[in-house]
Amino acid sequence: MKSRVARLLLSAALFALIGAGLVVDASSRRTTWTLSRPARLARVRELGFADLALSSSSRWLRHPSLVERAAAVADTPDSLDTDPAVGLLPPERSAP
Amino acid sequence: MKRQRALLEYALGALARRPGRSVALAVGLALVTGLYASALFLTDSLRAEVESAAAGVPDLTVQAMAGGRPALLDAASLEALDAALVSEPGVRSIRPRVWGYLFWPAIEANVVLVGAGEGEADAARVGFALAQRLGLREGDRLALPLPPEGSLVLRATTITGEETALHDADVLEVSEATARQLLGIPEGSAVDVAVTLATPDESPVVAERVAGAIPFARVLDRPGIQRAYELTFDGRSGLLGILLLPCLAALLLLAWERLTGLGPEEQREIGILKAIGWETRDVLVARLYESTVISVAGALIGLVVAYAFVFWLGAPGMAGAMLGWSTLHADLDLVPAIDLTQILFLFGVVVVPFAGVGLVPAWRAAMLDADRATRQT
Repeated sequence: MKSRVARLLLSAALFALIGAGLVVDASSRRTTWTLSRPARLARVRELGFADLALSSSSRWLRHPSLVERAAAVADTPDSLDTDPAVGLLPPERSAP
Repeated sequence: MKRQRALLEYALGALARRPGRSVALAVGLALVTGLYASALFLTDSLRAEVESAAAGVPDLTVQAMAGGRPALLDAASLEALDAALVSEPGVRSIRPRVWGYLFWPAIEANVVLVGAGEGEADAARVGFALAQRLGLREGDRLALPLPPEGSLVLRATTITGEETALHDADVLEVSEATARQLLGIPEGSAVDVAVTLATPDESPVVAERVAGAIPFARVLDRPGIQRAYELTFDGRSGLLGILLLPCLAALLLLAWERLTGLGPEEQREIGILKAIGWETRDVLVARLYESTVISVAGALIGLVVAYAFVFWLGAPGMAGAMLGWSTLHADLDLVPAIDLTQILFLFGVVVVPFAGVGLVPAWRAAMLDADRATRQT
């Protein structure tokens, strides 16, 4: 009968094998992603948009609740304003 | 070495003798680690996607403001901007853009309509998610709402690929004239101006020029947009982390309760071990081995599950916390952006507190008096 320590080492080896499989999977995904980067970059250059297509900026609309069902609860106290109305880079008026 | 191996052997035996407790703790740890790891993997993957595309974003985006709201740049403003920047040697290109959001009642979603150059008036390049929602194929026709109560029929000439879907899933690209017609933007006006610079470091100087040319201009620079994304992702993943804190606390409480409650059998076991010559240190080490094996196994299982959950399944249920309200977003086909720091962080957050919680019970067990422990049972 195998000792418990030997069984523990076997389990560790199994985990290492799974880990290696995940590393191979991650590396293959990254390779595909890197290969498609020029196409993505070209598309971003064409469109000139920084945002991912995960959230549409429908807040610019006058009545957001008509298109955003949860608009009323989307803004929370102390939440971060990532798009402040003053602009992210206010021009330095004192600069020559 | 031999002694340590014997202690580990004993610790593993002790775990096997109480399988219910060992499995419950390992599963709890796997769950908590998995949740934390999923939040971390998801955020860092999205962050990597944004960073990889940052080079394609204009160095400066100039908008007009009226009453604190974004407004159209009229022809006079565009001319003033052109006159102010044309003499700047660092300005590589100035591109007025026509784009906007078009609510499409048929699919109850906002489409990002982009006007691009002088193409065919009825040609449209359709984003992947939008085409999927409409069941469109290249060559099909689509009718867009054109106020008042009319519609404009376009032809889907191209459907963009899945590889760019994270950037243009909800985009409908048409000729500039068609975009103006659908969005109601008058000829000569623009929504904003994309400025590309030869040296991005010159953006504050160029922004100053813009402010001089258009008094109510709002200038967004590329690093600022990137910072906003960083803050958003950090904020949202931090919020997820805080929401998961009660899970971690509950697990640590459970571990404390389970590990402190020495049953009569365990007390007798320790009593016998000490009676046959085990030192306090040996009992302490054996108990520590027990909690380390459970915590490392649980954390590793959690990490594997988190990887599969995020990168194979697209983080169903959790991705929503990271996304906006968009109904036309691409399927999340994320790329892993995992490094050793993340793994060490997860071990630091979950495994170390668990091992720490196990220390006091281990010490209490080790301090049991052999004679008392065996007599009590």
